[in-house]
Amino acid sequence: MKLLKIDSLHKTFKKHKVSAVDGASFSIFKGEVLGLVGESGCGKTTLAKLILRLIDADKGSIFYKDKDLLKISHSDMRKTRKSLQIIFQDPYASLDPRMRIGEVIEEVYDIHKNVTGREKKNKAIELLETVGLGEVYLQRLSSELSGGERQRVGIARALATDPEFIICDEPVSSLDISIQAQILNLLIDLQKRKNLTYLFISHDLGVIGSICDRVMVMQSGKFVESGSCETIFRNPKHEYTKTLLKSALLS
Amino acid sequence: MLLQIKNLKVGYRNIEVVRGVELNIDKGECVGLIGESGCGKTTVGLSVTKLIPERIGMTSGEILFEDKNILKLNPEELRNIRGKKISYVFQEPFSSLNPVFTVYEQIREMLEKKNNIYIQIAEILKSVGLEKIIGRKNVYPHELSGGMQQRAMIGMAIASKPSLVILDEPTTALDVTIQRQILDLITGLKNKMNLSILFISHDLRIVFSIADKIGIMYAGKIVEYGTKEKIISSPSHPYTIGLIDSIPSFEHRKQLFNVIGGKAPLFSELPKGCKFYPRCRFRIKECLKKEPELKDISADHFSRCILTSEIAARRLPKQNRSI
Ligand SMILES: Nc1ncnc2c1ncn2[C@@H]1O[C@H](COP(=O)(O)OP(=O)(O)OP(=O)(O)O)[C@@H](O)[C@H]1O
Ligand SMILES: Nc1ncnc2c1ncn2[C@@H]1O[C@H](COP(=O)(O)OP(=O)(O)OP(=O)(O)O)[C@@H](O)[C@H]1O
Ligand SMILES: [Mg+2]
Ligand SMILES: [Mg+2]
Repeated sequence: MKLLKIDSLHKTFKKHKVSAVDGASFSIFKGEVLGLVGESGCGKTTLAKLILRLIDADKGSIFYKDKDLLKISHSDMRKTRKSLQIIFQDPYASLDPRMRIGEVIEEVYDIHKNVTGREKKNKAIELLETVGLGEVYLQRLSSELSGGERQRVGIARALATDPEFIICDEPVSSLDISIQAQILNLLIDLQKRKNLTYLFISHDLGVIGSICDRVMVMQSGKFVESGSCETIFRNPKHEYTKTLLKSALLS
Repeated sequence: MLLQIKNLKVGYRNIEVVRGVELNIDKGECVGLIGESGCGKTTVGLSVTKLIPERIGMTSGEILFEDKNILKLNPEELRNIRGKKISYVFQEPFSSLNPVFTVYEQIREMLEKKNNIYIQIAEILKSVGLEKIIGRKNVYPHELSGGMQQRAMIGMAIASKPSLVILDEPTTALDVTIQRQILDLITGLKNKMNLSILFISHDLRIVFSIADKIGIMYAGKIVEYGTKEKIISSPSHPYTIGLIDSIPSFEHRKQLFNVIGGKAPLFSELPKGCKFYPRCRFRIKECLKKEPELKDISADHFSRCILTSEIAARRLPKQNRSI
């Protein structure tokens, strides 16, 4: 079943006439992990924000479970956002520095009315544990964390709503290999157990190769290549993909 | 010696997270500082230019830069050093770029000489791979992608022709090709202008490709320090060995590695004795007695472990490692 279907999506930032997303079309199946790679500034984050309607598209359509997200009302979109989450690339910009981590995560449960304070707290602790942080972090302000700790709070917050579909925008870029492995294993495990769907943006081909089924390559707002990781990694067709793979092998 | 960090200690809310760090950087030298998330790398970096306000962190020790103790300087003296002699690329670029000024204005502000401004800015933008915004004088930081912001910060940092630059995870959001370009740029400046660099990263592969010397940090202390060659050829602390053995080779990319296992201790509940003990594959009872000192193993190579000589023989077999 197609969970998300996008057709000729366009977004131009008028002031500088930058076509950040220039006619993107693709689908994601339920339970699929789809990788998105492409050089810095090619439009990956813009695409993610368009899907969540954090910025407005110029034209095109985004069907999520048969609803066109570009046409539904704001209140419908708010409801949809519960099952459609994002882990932001820049955790600093997406967390309020004056909020305690406990509040950041528990806030998510406020939408469900019949969860008690105690239950909320327990769930928050459990989530923090799964990302390698613990109960002591509940009382911290998000400005009192290290960069990698903030990135993990962003992951815990996205998981809190029990989403069906998560857009992961460079979710492990500032984490060291052992914590990276722990987080990726957690994401894979959740995906298998709950049949979650991910759009996974990363510049790290190792990470993409280890968790994605399919991968799309983007350049200047357009998709230039897509296919199974095996095919693309073995036999890249596009110039950018080739350079990317070559330098990955050398490093 | 351009920079000497002596017995640096920093505590947040009465909990010490940097617990006596020693690190020297010579003129024209690149020192890599590596360690897992939360071990105190950024805190060390920020201390070098006294960027942790007293109400947030208690700092002690000495930071000698050109023989002056930075921790003792007044705000006026600090202003003459920050962004001029020492520049800083922060871990989270967007939080440190000024949202109300254009990228052009912010680079211009940092330029050492104020002649031929636009030519200079264009050159800087080109060197960090931001050709796209050359001539676009009205671009604000929020109009750049994550990786472009990171590169704009690097551009600002080199604009002032500093003698020391602190780079905190400068390439996290960049793919290997641009990463390479940035690393080459930095190495070039190091060779041409005798630039000194403190390079903070969680990624050993990157540090191996750029640093002359490497400090490995664990739970607020340096646990191993040495030239890059020594660290690669004969890593001696069990934590360093775990880090190196965790680097996946391209063929093994389908596996996810967590050779070290377990997780870092909380600073509020540090174990007695060696802080790495709970996760160490090589541990013996003796390790619990007291926290080991940083010992010489050979010239330019130190380790904070009492077992040093026996460990190497018990590493992962070579065919299972990428280095
Ligand atoms: N709010 C904005 N206003 C104007 N231009 C923007 C805005 N946001 C992004 N852009 C531009 O759109 C293009 C795509 O940006 P985007 O953030 O989508 O890139 P990205 O692929 O996520 O890159 P990175 O890997 O560096 O994060 C860039 O050229 C950027 O400068
Ligand atoms: N303002 C603060 N108040 C309280 N604790 C803090 C504060 N800033 C950082 N910490 C804590 O100090 C420790 C060291 O943080 P630091 O930012 O130096 O780590 P780091 O090594 O740079 O980690 P990362 O790789 O995740 O960026 C962490 O445990 C963090 O939670
Ligand atoms: Mg992005
Ligand atoms: Mg840091």
